[in-house]
Amino acid sequence: MAKILIAEDERDIRDLITFTLRFAGHDVVAAANGEEAVEKALKEKPDLVLMDVRMPRMTGYEACKKMKSEESIKHIPIIFLSAKGQDSEVTAGLDAGAVEYILKPFSPDQLTERVRTILKQYGK
Amino acid sequence: MSVVILQDEIVHYEVLGRGRPLILLHGWVGSWRYWIPTMQAVSITFRAYSIDLWGFGDTAKEPSRYSINQQTSLLVDFLDKMGIAKVALVGHGLGALVALNFTVQHPEVVDRLMVISSPLGSEMVNARMRTANPTELADWLLGRVPAAESARMEVPKTDLQSITISLNELQELDILKLSMQLNTACLFVYGQNDPAITVPQYEVFTSLPERTHQIVLEQSGHFPMLDESSKFNRLLADFLSLPSGESPRQLQLKEEWKRRVR
Repeated sequence: MAKILIAEDERDIRDLITFTLRFAGHDVVAAANGEEAVEKALKEKPDLVLMDVRMPRMTGYEACKKMKSEESIKHIPIIFLSAKGQDSEVTAGLDAGAVEYILKPFSPDQLTERVRTILKQYGK
Repeated sequence: MSVVILQDEIVHYEVLGRGRPLILLHGWVGSWRYWIPTMQAVSITFRAYSIDLWGFGDTAKEPSRYSINQQTSLLVDFLDKMGIAKVALVGHGLGALVALNFTVQHPEVVDRLMVISSPLGSEMVNARMRTANPTELADWLLGRVPAAESARMEVPKTDLQSITISLNELQELDILKLSMQLNTACLFVYGQNDPAITVPQYEVFTSLPERTHQIVLEQSGHFPMLDESSKFNRLLADFLSLPSGESPRQLQLKEEWKRRVR
């Protein structure tokens, strides 16, 4: 199983995603904003980052660009969590260096399955 | 993993969500783990705790604690330790008996009670429950949905005596009489195709107190929360959203519902 960094400012959602992935067998690290996400990515070197677009202090895009500029973590795949219908968010996320996006709303089961598929694609 | 020391022994539990407290108690097969989908579903409005009872999962194995009264005292001490003064209880199988016993002993603490797949007498329990080992019971009773696989992982951790001692105790325990003493809003839930527990006749429930109600999920076996998880979660959400003290008698099964993250 993989180490996954979750960056999400809404505590309820962050807790739910953490709980869901933890009991799907993953090692989960959580961050409440973009700045903390970059710090934890540098420290924890996760196999995958799941990141909300709209976060305080540093947006998901900014955090993504920052991670992609750091030699030690730029290889880590980043996935954005994006609200359905926000096509511009998806495009901006991919431009910032994300490899995928998961549209909200999603169910815990869907998230687990999507993460499993993506990790498999990246050989994790 | 979250643990708490109760009665000088380790008790394992997990918790998710914020809001009013809800305690989920597992049955004879498995552990806290099969409540994961339920916890995910209710976590938006409830702080859902799921506990491993004595002899199950990662909680201590000590046969002297396997009676229903001892399991009930675990719940008493857990609530005390967590500082929970009022709670909604959901119990399944063994956990349902513990929840029922607790509610009769401490009605002032229980806001509402959901009793799932609970026998109302020892004759309602299939004899195989007393003769099979935990793995055989899991193979017999757990379906093939992904959540069931997660529950199956924990089955080898079960101390067989925790099952047999409580099942043997059933022969001495008049559960129907216990249910008659309920003064708390209580919903009994059964799976129509449960091979382990016979679904009581509807007439039985007409003799129970006013604030009790029975609902049968037609496509479910022993694990309605896994066999028809969306329908079960919708029913649970409806039950939990009733005003405190209101009878659940108007509750009925509705369209399926699934928690989605926005």
